[in-house]
Amino acid sequence: MKRLLSLGILLVLAVASIVLAQTSGQATLRTPAGDHPFTYVQQSGQIYVNATEVATALGGTIAPDANGFKVTVGGATAAFGADSRYGVVRDDLIEMPVPPIAIEGKPYVPWQFFQGFLAKATSQDVAWDAAARTLVVRPLTRDAVGVQVSVANVQGISKIVLTLSAPSEYSIVKEPQAYLVRFRAPVRAPFGEQTYEDPYIAKVTFAGSDLRIQLTAPEVVGDAYQLESPPRIVLDFRKGAAPAPGTPGVQQPSRPQDTPGIRTIVIDPGHGGREVGAVGPGGLMEKDITLAIARKLQTALAGKLGARVVLTREDDSVVSLDQRTALANQYKADLFLSVHLNAAVVKDAKGSETYFLSLEASDELAKKAAESENAQSSVPNPNADLNLILWDLAHQAYVDESSRLAQAIQEEMNAATGVANRGVKQAPFKVLVGATMPAALVEVGFISNPEEEAKLQSEEFQNLMVQTLTKAVERYKTDYETRIGVIQPAAPAPAPAATTTAPAAPAPTTTAAPTSAAPQTRTER
Amino acid sequence: MLLIAVAVSGCRKKPPAAANLNAANKVAVRMVRLYYETPQMLLAAEPRNIALPESAAAAMPVVVRELMKGPASPAGAALRLFPADTVVRGTYLLPGGTVVVDLGGTTLSQGWGTGSHHELMAVYSLVQTLATNFADARRVRIVINGTPAETLAGHVSLSRSLVPQPGLVDPRSR
Repeated sequence: MKRLLSLGILLVLAVASIVLAQTSGQATLRTPAGDHPFTYVQQSGQIYVNATEVATALGGTIAPDANGFKVTVGGATAAFGADSRYGVVRDDLIEMPVPPIAIEGKPYVPWQFFQGFLAKATSQDVAWDAAARTLVVRPLTRDAVGVQVSVANVQGISKIVLTLSAPSEYSIVKEPQAYLVRFRAPVRAPFGEQTYEDPYIAKVTFAGSDLRIQLTAPEVVGDAYQLESPPRIVLDFRKGAAPAPGTPGVQQPSRPQDTPGIRTIVIDPGHGGREVGAVGPGGLMEKDITLAIARKLQTALAGKLGARVVLTREDDSVVSLDQRTALANQYKADLFLSVHLNAAVVKDAKGSETYFLSLEASDELAKKAAESENAQSSVPNPNADLNLILWDLAHQAYVDESSRLAQAIQEEMNAATGVANRGVKQAPFKVLVGATMPAALVEVGFISNPEEEAKLQSEEFQNLMVQTLTKAVERYKTDYETRIGVIQPAAPAPAPAATTTAPAAPAPTTTAAPTSAAPQTRTER
Repeated sequence: MLLIAVAVSGCRKKPPAAANLNAANKVAVRMVRLYYETPQMLLAAEPRNIALPESAAAAMPVVVRELMKGPASPAGAALRLFPADTVVRGTYLLPGGTVVVDLGGTTLSQGWGTGSHHELMAVYSLVQTLATNFADARRVRIVINGTPAETLAGHVSLSRSLVPQPGLVDPRSR
C-alpha cells in the first residue's frame, strides 16, 4: 500500500517534470560534520536537489505520506506536497520558488525547501554556492546569531529594532553618549558601521559580539524591551535629563512610570488612510468614525482617570497592525483598546461586541505536534523547548486580564445602549497579537446596517459610546488595582443591626505588587 | 519515451478532452456541504451536488470555487461572504493535513474593506467547508497571490493555519 502511495505521488510529481532536465550532476552538501555528494538538477533556472540524498546526508529520513513526502532532520519534520510550492514545518509555511518534481522516480525539491526547513526548525542556515556547486549548511546556534538593524523615528521617539536569527542572551551597557548591546554569542553582522540621519541615533557599529549605538547627544536616554516571533530587541531613545556625574554604567530596562496600576492607555482607532475599513450603505467610512471616537475617548480617559492616553494614529494615516501593538509596547502601556465598527452580510445586524485574543486551536495543535516531535526525537532540539516556552509566554500571559477587560466593556455597552448584546468573543485578531498588556477590540456598532450607520455618525451616539467606554475602563482599572493591592477594597456596608461586630475588610487578593501589568500578577478568575 | 507517446497520440483523432479528463479523474456528481452565514449570524451548511474528481487534492479547488459562488438562494449574491471578484488560484493539500489556499482577485489584492464579523465569517466559512468535506483537511493556511498575507481585511490574522471554530457554526450544522 505504502509502495502504491509512493508510486502515485511520484506519478503526480512526474507530470510536473515533463520538461526534461537541462543540467544535472553531482554537487556537495557541506555541513560541519563533513562533505557529502548528492545529485542536483538545474531546470528553468531553478536548482532542484535529490531530497532523499540530502535528507540522508543531513542524518535524517524521508518517507512518502498521503499527499507528499515527510522529511525528518534533527528531530523536526517538514512536509512537501506533490504539486505545491509550499512546504510546511509544524504550523509554518516553507515557500519554494517552484513545486518539487520527480526525476527517474525520485523526488527532487528546490534547494530552498531545505533552507526554509532548517532555518525554521533547527536554526541552521542553508545557502547554494552556484560556482562551487555546493549546498552549505551552517549552524546558527549560540555560536552565531544573525542581527538585522532597522531605525525609525516614531512620534518623537527613535526606535532601533534588532531582529535576531535566533533567541540569544545579551546585556545592555550604558556608555557616555552610547549604548552597547553585548551578545554572548558571536554576531553575524550585516555591516561594520552605519550612520543615520536621526535626531538621537548617530551610528551603529558592530565589533565582535558587540553592537554599539552611538547617540547624538549625552542627554539622550534609552529604554529596551524584547519581542518574540521573530526574536527582537527594541531600544527606544528620547531626550532626557543630562546624566549626573558618576551615573552607574549599566542600563536596566525600566518602565517610564514604575507605579503599579493602569497609568498608560493606548487607544487604537481602527484602519486609516487608504485602509478605509468597512463602508456603510450611505458611504460612511469606518476609519473616520473610529478616529473621532478615539480622539474623544483620549480626552475623556485622560480627564477622568488622569492616565497618559496615547493614540496609535492621530490623523487619517496608514499604520500597520504590527506598529499599533509595537507602539503600545513601546509606551509600556497598561491597557490597549482597539476601536472598530462592524460589518456583516446580514443587513439588519446590530449591536456591539468585544473581542480578546484567542489561543487558536491551531496553535494548540502545532504545540502538541512540536511537543510530540521533541519527545520522539533521539536528538534533543533545544530550540523546540525554547519555542514552546516563548509560545506559552506570548499567548497566555495576558489572556485572563484581557478577558476581564473585554467583559467590563461589553457589560457597560449593553447597559448603555440597550441594543442586542453580541457578547464577549475570542478571535485571532492580528492587532491584538503581540500586545504585552491586557488588550481588547471593541466593535461599537454595525456600519453595514443603515440605522446603525446613521447613529454612528451622530455626535450624540459617539459621546454615549465614549462615556460608556470610559466607564468600562475605569471599572476595569478599579478592579485591577484593587486586586493587585494598589487600591484598598472598600469596607463592606455596616452589618445589620442584629450583628454586633462589623467584619474586617478582606485582604488584597495578591501579595506582590507588580512592576507592570498583568504578566507578573496573573490572578485566577 | 513520454515525448514519443505524446507525438504518437497527436496523430490520432482526439476524443473530447473533457470526457477523458472526467474519466481519468473519476469525476462524478457528489454532494458537498458549503458553509454560509445564516440570519442568526452563524455559519450553516448548504448541501449542493457538484461534479467532483475522486481525488481530494483535485476536488478541493472545485469545492472552494463553488463556495465562492455564494448561497444558491435568490438572495445568494448579497449573502456571498467573499468579494465577488475573488479568484481561487489554487489549493494544496500537504502531508499532515494542512491545506494551503491561494486566493487572489482585485479586492483581496488591493485591500478589502469590511468589518471583523464579515471577515471572520468569510475566513471560517472556507475553513469549515474544507474540514467538513475532506477528512484529510485539518487546518487551513490562506495566502494571497502566492505569498503569506497578514489579513484579508485588517482583522483576522492569517500568519498561522486556522482550524474550524465550532462556536461560529450553527449547532444544527456542526
